[in-house]
Amino acid sequence: MSLLEVRGLSKNFRGLAAISDVSFAIAEGSITSIIGPNGAGKSTMFNLITGYLAPTAGEVRFRDRRITGLATNRIAELGVARAFQIARPFRDLSVFDNVRIGALFGKAGRRDVEAATRRAMELASIAHLATQPASALTVGQLRHLEVARAIATRADLLLADEPCAGLNPTETAAMIDVLRQVRKNGVTVVLVEHDMPSVMEVSDRLLVLDAGRLIAEGPPPVVANDPKVIAAYLGTPDAA
Amino acid sequence: MDLIAQTLADGLVLGGIYALAAVGFSLIFGVLHVINLSHGVLVLLGAYLALLFSELLHIDPLLCIPPVMAVLFCIGYGYQRFLIQHAVDRASVNSMLLTFGVALMLQNVMIWLFSPDMKNITPSYAFNSFKLGPVNFDAVRVSALLASLALLSLLAAFLRYSPMGRVIRATAQQTMAARLCGVNVRHVYALTFAVSAAFAGAAGIVIGIILPFSPNDEGTWTLNAFVVVVLGGVGSPAGALIGGLLLGLVSTLTAQYIGPAFPNVTMFLLLVFLLLVRPHGLLGNAFAASR
Amino acid sequence: MKHDPRLIAAAVVLAVVLLAAGPAFLPPFYVRVGQLMLYSAGLGLAWAILGGFAGYASFGHSAFIGIGAFAAGLVESRYSGLPPVLLLPLGLAAGGLACAILSAAIAYPILRLRGTFFAIAMLGVSHVGAEVTNNIDFFQGALGLNFPPLAPADMDPAAFYYELFLAGALSILLISWLIRRSRFGAGLLSIREDEDTARMLGVPTERYKRVAFVVSAVLTGLMGVIYAHSLGYITTESVYRDDTNLSLIVYSLLGGMGTLFGPVIGAGLLVFITQVILGRLLDFHLFATGLLLVLLILMAPGGVNGLLNRKRRPA
Repeated sequence: MSLLEVRGLSKNFRGLAAISDVSFAIAEGSITSIIGPNGAGKSTMFNLITGYLAPTAGEVRFRDRRITGLATNRIAELGVARAFQIARPFRDLSVFDNVRIGALFGKAGRRDVEAATRRAMELASIAHLATQPASALTVGQLRHLEVARAIATRADLLLADEPCAGLNPTETAAMIDVLRQVRKNGVTVVLVEHDMPSVMEVSDRLLVLDAGRLIAEGPPPVVANDPKVIAAYLGTPDAA
Repeated sequence: MDLIAQTLADGLVLGGIYALAAVGFSLIFGVLHVINLSHGVLVLLGAYLALLFSELLHIDPLLCIPPVMAVLFCIGYGYQRFLIQHAVDRASVNSMLLTFGVALMLQNVMIWLFSPDMKNITPSYAFNSFKLGPVNFDAVRVSALLASLALLSLLAAFLRYSPMGRVIRATAQQTMAARLCGVNVRHVYALTFAVSAAFAGAAGIVIGIILPFSPNDEGTWTLNAFVVVVLGGVGSPAGALIGGLLLGLVSTLTAQYIGPAFPNVTMFLLLVFLLLVRPHGLLGNAFAASR
Repeated sequence: MKHDPRLIAAAVVLAVVLLAAGPAFLPPFYVRVGQLMLYSAGLGLAWAILGGFAGYASFGHSAFIGIGAFAAGLVESRYSGLPPVLLLPLGLAAGGLACAILSAAIAYPILRLRGTFFAIAMLGVSHVGAEVTNNIDFFQGALGLNFPPLAPADMDPAAFYYELFLAGALSILLISWLIRRSRFGAGLLSIREDEDTARMLGVPTERYKRVAFVVSAVLTGLMGVIYAHSLGYITTESVYRDDTNLSLIVYSLLGGMGTLFGPVIGAGLLVFITQVILGRLLDFHLFATGLLLVLLILMAPGGVNGLLNRKRRPA
């Protein structure tokens, strides 16, 4: 059974289709990347899954339960977490307290908050920053904090929005490493990412969106050679 | 039937005044993204200055409009330049708190200077009236309405046609772009505040000739302005006019048919309702950054 | 920062005993100042549960002082035959209940507003409350309400109300402290920092905000009930006060927004400034509070304590 299932999902903004009739399924324990040119609807897809936006049509199912229409915090309680591209830390709180909020809330159930907080910080390799105020972190460190806070919620599914955007090669490698660790700990990962080398390296499967439609999916080498995908990225002669 | 016509006519007169009293608040909100809680104080300051001038010089209170506007223009310019500007770039709650503090200081000052009692400005034609069909018009109320409409038109023309008005509108729409085009944004902010204060003062005079006023009313006039802006939209005299007329009608109808105690209650319910229906609507579009 | 818990407990007990013994050795003037400080501290703490912890700064909390005071007064006047020992609990129950019901009723719509809009809407609530109280005969806002004297015959009323305010302020401090260290408190803090992100992490933001709002309103109302008794006679103007609306914000700004003791420090300082330093210049209080607010915004927008806190936060 797949962990997340998207069925016939569409989203219109004032008649403009941002997502049209997209369906896919995410297998438990996988790393999947959603790629596509700018404006293809990747972030909208995340907003629809997390309940931040309501779809025009279609539904999202998590563990075979319909989550479309639930409040954002309810979806988080079921085990879906999100790391933002533009990090949104609680600026006035320390790194530890940031991650602790994730550990206190998120997926419902009893938990050892302190341990969950420490584990998440270690997993995202920011344990050494625990006492720093979030406002003092670099862009790269903030991305790690986003991931740590999301993991601390004990989510089963992590939606990471361009975790590598704007990072240098060393930082990118570190982030890829963190994502692998996250998966190793049993968390399914869905990425939106532009950095193609990292995507090819880390993903089990790729989903390609173009102008709100799913135009290809499959293992990275197959998708990379799909003529439709190449056309979407480079433009077809008559469209250019 | 006559009662309805009379109530509607009264509502329109009151609405014109509400519009004038709110237009400055709206302008500041639109251009500086500041909620000026001292707006009501500036309105009352205009009323007290007119009372002073008209008693001192024995002239018609409406003739006090130019000098009062001039005084408040200067006060507004200095107020923005020396106080508000320091808080305007920080969180929006901060600039609002600043104006709240100033409002209470000035309220206190007005109580010292003018006593906490109700005051009235009484022009010579205070008791004249004429009939138009079944509806009775006081000369005072009609002149107040005409003055309001004239001043609103004047402000609309200023914003639309004068070079300064264009710069103010440009800054409201794209602060950064205006800055890049060489606009001295601080100066524009201060001028906007000055214009806003001047019109608040003018509104105070018009209010003073038809309604009694005391320093304790400042909160009411600030809240009125806020409601008018939410009703009619931000930053334009036309919006203020629409919002003001709506509010005027709602107040008089409520006072007539529900009870004299309830205009503010209805007004407030209307406000909350509108904010809820369009939390980002009227205000949100122009003020995405003000949150 | 780990101290021996027994030492802390001893220090707390000592502080409470010293405070409670205040009226025994303070001159009458300072008992009154102390009353006002404790009353203000209690109000400031109650306000801060919503304004400081959750970041929803209300500009109209005097509404709940008014609602609490008038509800208590109306109920108590109906049962004025009861002994004083029962009247105060009755009044507290009535005032608290009225605030709970009213705040719960307006919580849903008003908490959908954020930042400045929430603040203004609350200012509107307090103005509407005042107007309704003043204009509807049933509430006797214009006429005024009398409260029966409660102090035991052998006790100075000033000292009696001092102790009541102390009990109120300490209870609210305790509640704030409990909230602060709970999951609920952490959730409120995350709402203050970034409401959307908090919700994304599973914080039930809507419910938390509503609970904080109602708790803050009820505690404010209870202080209002005690205050009304200490005055003995109230009208609309004596409880629905704009300067209270302002002061509540100033307490937190002055003492440190969002900190546990911030409102206490702020209330103590502000009351000291207005009552002791400017004691003779009664008409000057509004002006002084306004001026202080202006100076705070211009010079230390994070609050005096906030500046210090920023430096030692990493600890």
